[in-house]
Amino acid sequence: MSICPVCRFRSNNWGDVASHIHDMTSRSDPPHVMWLNRNLSSREVSSQELAGTLEDYFSLKGGLSSWIRGKVIEKIYGERPHPFILAMQKPNRAVLLGYVIEHRHFLRNWIRVLSMIVYKTDKDDVARYELENISQEFLGNGSPPHYELLIRMGESLGLTRDEIMSYDPLPSTSSSIKVWRNIAETRSWVETMASMHSMELIADKSLRNYGSKMHYFNPSILTDQDYPDAVKKFLAEGYNADEYHAWKALELVEKYSQELGVVEDVQVSFLRSLDALSKYLMARLERAMEFDPNLIKFVEAVT
Amino acid sequence: MKVITNGRETGKKETGCALCGGTWGSYYEDVEDQSMFFCCDLCAKAFINTVNEVKKRTGWDHLDQLELKGNYYTGRTCVARREGKEYKFYVKFNDEADIETFREL
Ligand SMILES: [Zn+2]
Repeated sequence: MSICPVCRFRSNNWGDVASHIHDMTSRSDPPHVMWLNRNLSSREVSSQELAGTLEDYFSLKGGLSSWIRGKVIEKIYGERPHPFILAMQKPNRAVLLGYVIEHRHFLRNWIRVLSMIVYKTDKDDVARYELENISQEFLGNGSPPHYELLIRMGESLGLTRDEIMSYDPLPSTSSSIKVWRNIAETRSWVETMASMHSMELIADKSLRNYGSKMHYFNPSILTDQDYPDAVKKFLAEGYNADEYHAWKALELVEKYSQELGVVEDVQVSFLRSLDALSKYLMARLERAMEFDPNLIKFVEAVT
Repeated sequence: MKVITNGRETGKKETGCALCGGTWGSYYEDVEDQSMFFCCDLCAKAFINTVNEVKKRTGWDHLDQLELKGNYYTGRTCVARREGKEYKFYVKFNDEADIETFREL
């Protein structure tokens, strides 16, 4: 099946989908135009050429999870790595506070959306995987949960717990959360699972073996005396996490998307999620600028 | 007004959307009595909002040149020019193309 990544118009060939998209762009339909600009190319091509490009873009040469990993690397770690990732190579207090304040909202939403997967699935292996993930994030298994470690990182940088909790999310964070909630509410649990767990790949240190030029943050931070222990603890948790974790989720996605015949839908929902992720990561830096206005110079230099 | 988007002059169908540089679409809008090409109405709205904000903040009645660098995700760092004067700023839009963040540089 060939599928329009914007409105999910379906056909059994890419030629039809390309004509459809071409038709929509000739009418300057914003969602179709924006999708092409952000994902494929900002240069207009013929319907015929577009058909080939789309087919290539969506083809699963090494399976669905490899395709997902490739797109994550391309978008976040590609030729121009995301400014937040660049800032994390040597984050100052402001960058880490921006991370804490916005990520608190992300993590709260994370748990809610994973609950939707549990609610919707009839597969025990999926329910078990998500329940374990939820409890690790929110309750911790004997050790402090991820959510708590994040707050402690903020405290170690000079904000009180009440101050951290008092921030509403920035508009970009809210807008991205809306995208993830919309996927959870309107799409299948497999699509939701792909959308959420593909985001964990950005912190997966094995990405460097697949063409990523840098890690999520510079690992030397973990032994750097200039960073408080709570910062190292929070970052180390992600760094030392079993990198198999996200892969396990994507394996389940790969298996069930085939079984349920929703592979193309999964691809499209994942791309929407990746778009929201890029936007959300910038919100962390925007928040950081409130603590360090000079960060704008950094953003200017890297964009 | 001359517009430079990510290093290239834009504003015509062949050169690309004045905001994002894309050549898809066919949306035209008059900006300072000059017909300008945009890929969609949201890019046009964002661009016009930016020009108006610069005029409001600088008191200029006209821009000679606007240079934009960046994209939807990162926001855009810009330089507006008028008779040898320069005004530098960062701008980011929300999903409705309204200005979400505007910082002078
Ligand atoms: Zn545009």
